[in-house]
Amino acid sequence: MTDFDEPAETAMLRESVAKVTAEFGPRYYQERAARGGRTIELWQALGDAGFVGVNLPERYGGGGGGVAQLAVVCEETAAGGCPLLLLLVSSAISGEILSRHGSEEQQARWLPGLASGREKMVFAITEPDAGSNSHRISTTATRDGDDWVLTGTKYYISGVDEAPRMLVVARTSTEGRSGGDSSDLSLFVVDTNAPGLDRTPIPVEVGAPEKQFQLHFDAVRVGPDRLVGTAGDGLRLVFSGLNPERIAGAAICTGIGRYALAKAAGYARDRQVWGQPIGAHQGVSHPLAAAAIGVELARLMTEKAAWLHDHDRPAGEASNMAKFAAADAGLGALDAAIQVHGGNGMASDYRLAHLWGMLRLLRIAPVSREMILNYVAQHTLGLPRSY
Amino acid sequence: MHVVVCAKQIPDPANPGRLSPDTHTLVREGKLVLDDSDAYGVELGLQLAEATGGEVTLVSMAPHDETSGLRTALAMGAARAILVSDDALAGSDALSTAKVLAAAVRRAEPDLVLTATESTDGYTGTVPVQLAELLGMPSVSFAKRLAVKDGVVHADRQTEAGYDEVEVPLPAVVSVTAGVVEPRYPSFKGIMAAKNKPIERLGLSDLGIDPATVGLAGARQEVVSVVAAEARDAGEIVVDEGDAHERIVAFLEQLKVI
Repeated sequence: MTDFDEPAETAMLRESVAKVTAEFGPRYYQERAARGGRTIELWQALGDAGFVGVNLPERYGGGGGGVAQLAVVCEETAAGGCPLLLLLVSSAISGEILSRHGSEEQQARWLPGLASGREKMVFAITEPDAGSNSHRISTTATRDGDDWVLTGTKYYISGVDEAPRMLVVARTSTEGRSGGDSSDLSLFVVDTNAPGLDRTPIPVEVGAPEKQFQLHFDAVRVGPDRLVGTAGDGLRLVFSGLNPERIAGAAICTGIGRYALAKAAGYARDRQVWGQPIGAHQGVSHPLAAAAIGVELARLMTEKAAWLHDHDRPAGEASNMAKFAAADAGLGALDAAIQVHGGNGMASDYRLAHLWGMLRLLRIAPVSREMILNYVAQHTLGLPRSY
Repeated sequence: MHVVVCAKQIPDPANPGRLSPDTHTLVREGKLVLDDSDAYGVELGLQLAEATGGEVTLVSMAPHDETSGLRTALAMGAARAILVSDDALAGSDALSTAKVLAAAVRRAEPDLVLTATESTDGYTGTVPVQLAELLGMPSVSFAKRLAVKDGVVHADRQTEAGYDEVEVPLPAVVSVTAGVVEPRYPSFKGIMAAKNKPIERLGLSDLGIDPATVGLAGARQEVVSVVAAEARDAGEIVVDEGDAHERIVAFLEQLKVI
């Protein structure tokens, strides 16, 4: 039978991440987010303790753990009021792809920085005309001598201003193949300050410290050492990072859910209106209890998905389900928590409402609710493909 | 330098504690955690050991072979632990605890023994000096700063008026205050390494201690009754009607704090 005892090491990891996060806390996060600041100090403290690179190989300074441990880091930072979007980008996608598919030389060059938290690597796949449909990616990488020259547009790329490099998915023109074939995609490591690369912030209402960018690649030249894996194999490589990204995203959602419920339960225990704590009223307690059930179920599926990924089992279905459930559960918990607080729920000082944007974002990205339903309908239930 | 740090494992202070109705001693069931006040000694021990190429050995006395608090200190970087666990130790008073710790510390042959000034669940504050006496070592209590040079401990000893600068030769027992150093949090590598670090588990017979001299049987101190602390008055709530600052100033003046 499945063992639900949490290993002592996992419990200690949770506690340690929570303590590092508590040194900064919800107020730090909220103020950084409100003022357009970054959460570099927290990231660095987590990096120093080996938590940012917990899933990366030990020989490059990582922790040698898996996505299960990374999910703990994502969840506990969020539960401490500091959800870190770039954990799912830099540690989960870029870290996992490089660890699994980068050459020895590439790993030795870039993984130590990711593992220590000194550097981040962001990820650029989404385009104005290619959102969920990566087959329509139109950014091209054209061979020129030994080099590759990238041209095109990406948008909604997170944290480009915080990272010296990013992984870019581009179409490599392959002779004899027509455009629109996913076997034409390749992955490149591109410097974020490369000549010909222009970035424009996209104003968003997410309310998180991490910023979103539109990127224009105007003949951005990279050397052959920047191609990850082999040309044309990009989509397969990308897929190895997508499940970790979903799992990390799910963990951020359940972490915010726990944060919101803890605050709401504390408030409902203390706040008295008619001579007893408002938490004694079922109209108050039941929505919180229902939200707690949702968060706990999503945590279970998130742990299962991480376990499957770390054991090289097919993890697509579980990762999708976890991400779907966690985004909904997190939003449900935050909404219930705000409601319990009454007018205070919208007050900055109560530090709840500013997290709505992050959860709402994670209901859309990295894969939308609707695409997950499509996946489950088709793969779990065997229904006809709808698109 | 080989540093022994006495590390107490206590019931999680986040949960309300319970006293046994018969003996009035603290019920210690379930998972215990490292006493926060010992984290300072562990950190200082690690810094001293790291600076001199030495190691830290933890010494702990706890019921039921409990190790979860020790694992935390091992994850911080201590090399090994000695755990004394014996049913006959239930109900031990401070002196019995000091006897047991002294016997365990002797086995480790340390250059320096660090303790907290008092535990978070017992608060007698007497074990460190008892331990030093039993070991025949000089003792410095309430060190808020500590350095070791040429076999001599230089400590700033906290007093009510300020601090004394004290020197004692090694080996010595030093109790350190919270804040003597900033304890590190266990890193992921530390957590994973702690899994495989040795914990030597000892009973009273291993230490050559007669069970009749420790535990409830040997306790020279008996808690005869326990009464609930009087609830404090709610205090005066000042509602600001434009003059709150004046009323608060008047209150503080009355207390002679300003």
